[in-house]
Amino acid sequence: MPPRLVENYNGDDSDSDVDIFGDFDAGVKGKGKGKGKAIDRGKKDKGKGKAKEQSYAWEASYTRSWDTVQEDEAGSLQGAVEDLIARGRRRRLLAPAAAIRRAIIRHLILLLDLSSAMMDRDMRPTRFDLMLQYAREFVTEWFDQNPLGQIGVVGMRAGIGERMGEMSGNPQEVLKAISERHKLEPTGEPSLQNAIEMARASMSHLPTHSSREIIIIFGSLTTCDPGNIHDTLAECVKDRIRVSVVALAAEMKICRELCDKTGGQFGVALNEGHFKDLLFELIPPPAQRALSTGPNARGGATAPADLMMMGFPTRLPDTSPPSLCVCHSQLKSEGFLCPRCGAKVCDVPTDCDICGLMIVSSPHLARSYHHLFPVKTYQAVRSLDDTPNASATCHACARPFKDAPQPMAGATGEGMSPLGRYRCPDCQNDFCAECDVFVHDVVHCCPGCGK
Amino acid sequence: MDAASHLGVVVDLSPTHWYLSSTRTQHNARPLSLKSFLSHLLVFLNSHIACKDENTLAVFGVLPGRSIMLYSSTSESSGNPLDKADANTYRPFKVLDATVMRTIAEHVENLGPSDLEIPGELVGALTKSLCHINRITTTSSAHANGQTASIDPRILILSVSPDQSLSYIPIMNSIFSAQKLRVTIDVCKVYGSESVFLQQAAHLTGGSYLHIDRADALLQYLTMSFLPPPGIRQLLSVPTQDKIDFRAACFCHKRIVDIGFVCSVCLSIFCQPVPVCSTCRTKFPIKTLQRLNAARPAVTTPTAAATPYIRSPASLPSSNAIKVGAVNGSQAAARNGLR
Repeated sequence: MPPRLVENYNGDDSDSDVDIFGDFDAGVKGKGKGKGKAIDRGKKDKGKGKAKEQSYAWEASYTRSWDTVQEDEAGSLQGAVEDLIARGRRRRLLAPAAAIRRAIIRHLILLLDLSSAMMDRDMRPTRFDLMLQYAREFVTEWFDQNPLGQIGVVGMRAGIGERMGEMSGNPQEVLKAISERHKLEPTGEPSLQNAIEMARASMSHLPTHSSREIIIIFGSLTTCDPGNIHDTLAECVKDRIRVSVVALAAEMKICRELCDKTGGQFGVALNEGHFKDLLFELIPPPAQRALSTGPNARGGATAPADLMMMGFPTRLPDTSPPSLCVCHSQLKSEGFLCPRCGAKVCDVPTDCDICGLMIVSSPHLARSYHHLFPVKTYQAVRSLDDTPNASATCHACARPFKDAPQPMAGATGEGMSPLGRYRCPDCQNDFCAECDVFVHDVVHCCPGCGK
Repeated sequence: MDAASHLGVVVDLSPTHWYLSSTRTQHNARPLSLKSFLSHLLVFLNSHIACKDENTLAVFGVLPGRSIMLYSSTSESSGNPLDKADANTYRPFKVLDATVMRTIAEHVENLGPSDLEIPGELVGALTKSLCHINRITTTSSAHANGQTASIDPRILILSVSPDQSLSYIPIMNSIFSAQKLRVTIDVCKVYGSESVFLQQAAHLTGGSYLHIDRADALLQYLTMSFLPPPGIRQLLSVPTQDKIDFRAACFCHKRIVDIGFVCSVCLSIFCQPVPVCSTCRTKFPIKTLQRLNAARPAVTTPTAAATPYIRSPASLPSSNAIKVGAVNGSQAAARNGLR
């Protein structure tokens, strides 16, 4: 069965100008700006209608890519290329900014296929090595974006599910669980049911307001189960576990059904780059709307919410006089003081051993706030007629603006400004295209109005 | 160190607090006026551009209600025709001094009496400085294609005014973007009480936070701790941070709290139990509210609210005993209340 085409994925063999965007995207990602991009992409994928309209790459009509590029007076292509790059950045910003409820305290079990099918060499060097490499990057990035989340690792090999790493909120521990290659050597047949049951059991104790997810990286085309896997599927639906599968070989009916019924995402990786894209799409917190409108919603009820009492500790420096910690009873200098009872704990987040208060570091919480208060989209300025005394430089980086409108290649619109000016609707300051992207993707705070 | 470094300086120019800093009181035995502060600062800025030819500099001013760029060594128009060549001064020094002083004078002239009450726009200056660094790093890497593009950016905040709890979220967002850009944020608190948010900024970005005791020796502090780029600082012993307060500002009253009530859906912080989350409109179960309300009085007693600054490990055992007792009592009360 052919894999579903994912929007804005560029195959290596496409020769259209869209490649410029591909290269640019890769550049952005390399600088660690992947966050905003991944979220936008997630948003786009929510609107599945768009993806359906698009035909497969091999069915698309012949595009005359050279017509969209125009030389300027000096015969140089640089202006046109810059324009295309700016257009690509801008397009990502114009993704719908509707309010979506997202899960923030996430619990995830990473299910790794360790069957002999993973030794296949269709992905270089092997599926197994590539999976480990991407899984490590995935864990790092996941904790960056979901600082309050926890990850456990389960492997499936030789017909059983094997616990590789306990649920942990510490990225180092999770990385350690998947760092030793020789302990994870693939062998035998995989068993989806056994592994999912194990993952389900390790998430059964979790509080009701946390989200539970399973991400399966599946390379095999068979599964060797002791019972009826549809029972397991029904249990997952009942426990509100969201199962997502990244398949490396081909689509299997049961995998697709697991994802569809539990509200997860399913994808088949076409090549190495696409594998990474599929995996990294699962990093941004999932919208909870998808769960409640899905077929498994119980009377439209969303996950029950709760108010939690949390304390923000004071960190003691290494130079403070040593004292005993309450968690290990060891003599230490550094540590965190519980704001309620003043007990010293070694690490946060944790529950205070003395008074039971949940102690978190406030920067941990603050990492997610930009999801809550996004910066308003800047309006593209089309002409300066209605603003007589417009500033000559970008309000953020003080770069001078272009004086005359730049002739636009191709169709105007798409939210591009011919003057390269983008105006904040609140503070009415003008920003250049680069700062526009930077403010919305990274800073999440308008330099003009400070919100 | 081979890499050139870029320094973004954010100068707090709040008139009210500079007035307080320049008056001699019991608590302020060594007053520092804005004038002498600026002369210290200019020497420091000059020494930064003198350290290495490729070093770049941008200076941002924080004024009531707005933020301005005072000087940027990368903008071409900075060379002003009004200053004649002076045989006794290195030209970049002169341009820098003249531009900074002139821009400050222009903007301070425009301040009206109503501006005295408006808090300074620290966030604006900080984000502008980040945008500027973003522009420099992206364009230089495009030009030099990675061979000499390793500009080492950092930001120094010279602060005199206290925390604006209103700007908690924007400041945290700026800190995380600084982390992403690998920008070190150094904080020098020239006057006033400790700043919780700036402490966190320095801690999270690996910079140093310095609350100076002798304001008249400002230049000494600046050159000894903030002139060397982060690469060299590993070899020097730069003053480390004392305690770091991880307190946050609540969303409802913008108070700075050490124990907050957090919505499990959106992680908004409230200083008291609320029935409905103001951010995501989630309704909380009434049982939780009762339980938390009953537990609260023990938390917000005046002693607990006032202690965070003076809390020290030595005084712990006694306060432990008292507070734990109070907490247990309140939990028992909560259980009774639920029945």
